[in-house]
Amino acid sequence: MKHDQVDIRDFGMDTISLAGTLPAKLQAIRDAGFTQVMLMARDLMGHAEGPEDAVRVVKASGLRVTGFQVLRDFEGLSGHLHDYKIDIAKAMLEMCHSVGAKVLLICSSTSTHASSDPDVLARDLRKLAMLALPLGIRIAYEGLSWGRTINEFTTAWDIVCRADAPNLGIGIDSFHAFATKTSLEDLDMLDPQKIFLVQLADFMWNEIPSVEERINTARHFRVFPGEGVHSEQVAELVMRLDRLGYRGDYSFEVFNDDYQGIPLPIVAERARRSAVWLSEDVLHRSLPLPGRMRLKRAES
Amino acid sequence: MQITADRESLADATNPLGLDGIEFIEFVTAKPQALGQVLEMMGFRPVARHRSREVLLYRQGEMNVIINAHSGGLPRSVQPSDTPVISAIALRVRDAATAYRHALDRGAWAVPTNVEVMELNIPAVHGVGASRIYFVDRYKDFSIYDVDFTLIPTVDPKPPALTGMHWFGVVQYIGNDRMEDWTEFYAELFGFKTLPDDKRYGILPKGRVLQSPCGSFYLQLIEPEPGIVEVEGEESLQRIGFGTPDVLASVAALRQRGVGFVESQGVHSETRGALTQSYLGGAMFELVHHAR
Repeated sequence: MKHDQVDIRDFGMDTISLAGTLPAKLQAIRDAGFTQVMLMARDLMGHAEGPEDAVRVVKASGLRVTGFQVLRDFEGLSGHLHDYKIDIAKAMLEMCHSVGAKVLLICSSTSTHASSDPDVLARDLRKLAMLALPLGIRIAYEGLSWGRTINEFTTAWDIVCRADAPNLGIGIDSFHAFATKTSLEDLDMLDPQKIFLVQLADFMWNEIPSVEERINTARHFRVFPGEGVHSEQVAELVMRLDRLGYRGDYSFEVFNDDYQGIPLPIVAERARRSAVWLSEDVLHRSLPLPGRMRLKRAES
Repeated sequence: MQITADRESLADATNPLGLDGIEFIEFVTAKPQALGQVLEMMGFRPVARHRSREVLLYRQGEMNVIINAHSGGLPRSVQPSDTPVISAIALRVRDAATAYRHALDRGAWAVPTNVEVMELNIPAVHGVGASRIYFVDRYKDFSIYDVDFTLIPTVDPKPPALTGMHWFGVVQYIGNDRMEDWTEFYAELFGFKTLPDDKRYGILPKGRVLQSPCGSFYLQLIEPEPGIVEVEGEESLQRIGFGTPDVLASVAALRQRGVGFVESQGVHSETRGALTQSYLGGAMFELVHHAR
């Protein structure tokens, strides 16, 4: 498929938006003109030829791995539950490392067994960051909108600041921010260097007040940015982050049952349309960014 | 008033592990004799061999260097190649079990141990790349080598140090944008402190210097040259630094033993320090003016 020359390097697809095998997903993503992909653990473990071959397939695809997802219900546990989750985290970090991913996404805990003490949550995230550090992996902590204690990017940011580790930052998911109606003005208090991942999605309903609806919508009815009723908010979020100085990746975190049932190229093409809209109409990326220009060193 | 340890914890907050210097530094190589010759040029003497593995202990003064040619077969361990690689630093600590637990509680990776019958189980955590950091608490009344090694007959088990050389530290190469990461790693797990930028040793003042909480040795973190975009898999322990009260005297003594030094416009032997040539495809040693 030939595409016009629009710079969509900053945007990537998630494998979770597509049905089929890992090689088919990677092929569809690449054919749509993307250069990066967000992987999940199941991509490796569910690969018919085994996880080692999955690593080979990912590397052979030429796609850069945006990040690896997702560690759940990790922080705030104690005793044997904590030890168990440390083992899970280590396994995820090793998978993340094997595919060359530099970011591991962790969602705030939903567990009723977890402490609500922010210092305890911060201590555990700091430990996770230390585990990730020798592997060169950064931890992006995301406030899930149905998280038990932490469910907004504002409170997630507070925990990240308390934990204060260089390779621990925040992950922002537009879906969760819109679901909790967190003011986008609060993005301005973030340090753009500590935003390690931004995931974008839109959805079709205006309001999702209950936790059950949020979970259901998040897992089955998301659409690509620009396809739902929150396009203006998506645009505002992206523009605010850009103004703030965020120059990292945007990944489309679109869980959608319909997209799981239609041909991969059609879904990937929808994702591409979304990326082009964000790049051209929202961020005006056809103009070179000041930070992107490579100035020639003056001749001495 | 009598203050005793069973009433209150008096552990030094700035040195939580009771770190007390380097017990040994280990190289892995498939050519142990070739590296042994280089170490002998540097003033070391072979003093003991491991009871069950192809492992040799070299020593001068307080410094122990282990040459490991044994392929352990453990995941994430350094496999011997012709080029010697610094594969481990062993830290002297007050209590090895406590230090190990302290590190694991803060997010270190345990190294699975693989000991033979009657051998010591020395706890270790993963360091940079495939290297390890061991914790050793038996270094006063008796040593770890008494158990796992047999002395080489007729050899002085305590050869004196050449021109007062002693451990100064280790240089670690790190990836782009990894300075804060590794600084935090050594601070969090072991209590290392960052020296101010104007405090420098030796003739290669790049990067950042971290001081051990016991104050007796240093780690120097060095990033890639600006403009090098990607150095995948290039993080490693690069070289050992020896402290000496008189660099030029050490250089003269080592030259007599056949050691070559880098003498270029940028780097050359002087009173602050010196750098040996690279041997066996990558082993080099740095001398740093440093008195004990």
